Amino acid sequence: MGEKPIWEQIGSSFVQHYYQLFDTDRTQLGAIYIDASCLTWEGQQFQGKAAIVEKLSTLPFLKIAHSITAQDHQPTPDSCIMSMVVGQLKADEDPIMGFHQSFILKNINDAWVCTNDMFRLALHNFG
Amino acid sequence: MGEKPIWEQIGSSFVQHYYQLFDTDRTQLGAIYIDASCLTWEGQQFQGKAAIVEKLSTLPFLKIAHSITAQDHQPTPDSCIMSMVVGQLKTDDDQVLGFQYMFLLKNYRNAWVCTNKFFRLALHNL
Repeated sequence: MGEKPIWEQIGSSFVQHYYQLFDTDRTQLGAIYIDASCLTWEGQQFQGKAAIVEKLSTLPFLKIAHSITAQDHQPTPDSCIMSMVVGQLKADEDPIMGFHQSFILKNINDAWVCTNDMFRLALHNFG
Repeated sequence: MGEKPIWEQIGSSFVQHYYQLFDTDRTQLGAIYIDASCLTWEGQQFQGKAAIVEKLSTLPFLKIAHSITAQDHQPTPDSCIMSMVVGQLKTDDDQVLGFQYMFLLKNYRNAWVCTNKFFRLALHNL
């Protein structure tokens, strides 16, 4: 089998780094965002590195562990990388829940930063 | 409350149109793609309008119904629109399953087309 496409290498490397940081010390996530970054967290919008780090740092749990079920990556027409992640997470002693997250990565000044981030828990209204 | 941002209007309008078409006649979905479009469907990659429409048209079910639980839209630095949709679907007489879609829309010759699309069922190895 040949080597993975470059966008898949960059995308999966970012995803691994992101969740490792999130699960150990999410206050350190600031480095991956810029002032133009947007986060939508469970439907709430946050604009810019500072607001995003504030939101992630103040999420109401101490411990969190993410488990990735699947991840997909694609190159975009404007030379960005799009990534979609499906997985499960466990916060403190809460039950395991499914989650969905999507990212857009852009190369700025030779570093890959996250310009767009969307997160949703997999909670559906049954019935 | 003010009017929704333009990217949210375009994104939600596209999402509504997409699922309406998908659930009624998915062979008609070709118009939303271009030759540079990419689709990742349950981990399989498809490149270009023709290959994408072929894949969607030959999916192994007759009836499908999507129910959207939530959708989010954001503008991207390159003036595209990113949309994420989480919901449930039912094909034929199969059980209801959770799904996730992600789209990137780009304004191409005055029309919003889908350049990137991802689809995954929410199936975890428990």
